[in-house]
Amino acid sequence: MKTYTFHVTGTHCASCKILIEDILGEQSFIKNPKVDLKKETMEIETESGESPEELAKILTEKIKPNGYTISVEKNIQEKKNDLPAQTGDVIWKAIPIGLGFLALFFLLQKSGILNLGIGGETTWVTALIIGLIASVSSCLAIVGGLVLSLSAKVSQDNISDTKTFILFHAGRLFSFAVLGGVLGLVGSAIGISFTFTAILGIIASLVMLFLGFNLVGIFAKNKITLHSGIFQKMTSTFRKIEHQTWTPILIGFGTFFLPCGFTQSMQVVALSSGSFGTGALIMFAFALGTLPVLALLSFGSASFAHSKHAPLFFKSAGVVVIGLGIFALLGGLAGLGIINPLFSI
Amino acid sequence: MSGTRVDRDLLLNGMNKTVYIILAFAILVVIGIVFSGGPQTTELKQAVEIKDGVQYITIEAEGGYSPRVTEAKAGMPTKLIMKTNGAYDCSASLVIRSIGFQKILPQTGEEIIDLGTPKAGVPLQGVCGMGMYSFIINFS
Repeated sequence: MKTYTFHVTGTHCASCKILIEDILGEQSFIKNPKVDLKKETMEIETESGESPEELAKILTEKIKPNGYTISVEKNIQEKKNDLPAQTGDVIWKAIPIGLGFLALFFLLQKSGILNLGIGGETTWVTALIIGLIASVSSCLAIVGGLVLSLSAKVSQDNISDTKTFILFHAGRLFSFAVLGGVLGLVGSAIGISFTFTAILGIIASLVMLFLGFNLVGIFAKNKITLHSGIFQKMTSTFRKIEHQTWTPILIGFGTFFLPCGFTQSMQVVALSSGSFGTGALIMFAFALGTLPVLALLSFGSASFAHSKHAPLFFKSAGVVVIGLGIFALLGGLAGLGIINPLFSI
Repeated sequence: MSGTRVDRDLLLNGMNKTVYIILAFAILVVIGIVFSGGPQTTELKQAVEIKDGVQYITIEAEGGYSPRVTEAKAGMPTKLIMKTNGAYDCSASLVIRSIGFQKILPQTGEEIIDLGTPKAGVPLQGVCGMGMYSFIINFS
């Protein structure tokens, strides 16, 4: 049994430690992988007779998909996060920016501009327009908040974000069409339960809060963290599922069930349409209407994330997401009758 | 030279920070006003009618509920009429927990909900599916 120490790059968050240790711990020839985030080093015990260089290569293969590399020599590229003065100030800038967006959003809801009152029969054209309205309405608090938080997180974790976002949006459009068709086909046989959507909404808002705090950097502040702890576990689990191809598609599918008055109204229209084709068309048109804003949120996140304003963007997005998360959480709890409605916008 | 430069930058940063904090507070106040309902414009058009010994309460649902607070009589058969006119937003998905009512209201039309004979002092609260709109009916 020999002990080796390697240098690790790409460990930008506390959860990376757990993720790397998990992945390497699964390898049979390695014992007790220990990552030191502060020094950016890693210690392993092994009985394998490979040279350190070979080992580094083999191990890098295992964790490369997650964005880490292991080397014998310290990589000379200095980490950009060694600018404490600047990052310390960014949060003060980010709070008013984030709050500003929140204020605009709530004022827009309050203004009543969005209550157009579209009458008449619901065709796919009306569904498209309603989708457009819905995408800036209070539904944005849940669906948009979720998209923004996930997109920012995905971009921050350096995952191939464009592919992820395309999968999400395609998955969303496709599932809306199929589920809309199914609703039309089975008619009133299935009703989507309010309690179910409300619980889903609460889960979504908790994810938003968690990601929001993560983006703002409250959990990631101390790179050295406790071994266990629920947030560590959550981050670790989150990072694992984040890298799967099916995750964005599944989340796109899940948005069908998120609580949003507009979506639910459209579901009723699809339900009463009585045919697969009409139901599918209506839900697809609705999802298509919501696409511009949601696409802007995700691809906008990506382009900001790759610009020099990235730290400011992540923190501002975090503030926005926390605000929307609180809003959605309180609303969801009120919808379930657990608390009294605290507000009415 | 560089020393003074750094001092000035530090000072500026410090000032910026104060400005940002003040700004953040100002925006928080705005959000607070939005949530607390802002200038109260709730029109007091109470829609409680008694016909043939039955009390009918009408509430309009579209971009929220109106009126938000209704005063009604207790101890008599009561029906709640939810009126919609092209409502696609959250207010169309109505939940009234106390009577176990959950339904997506028709986009345009009326939904009549039987409230039985309400007791005095037990208010009835309706919330939209996402919980951001609500109304309350007080019985006395």
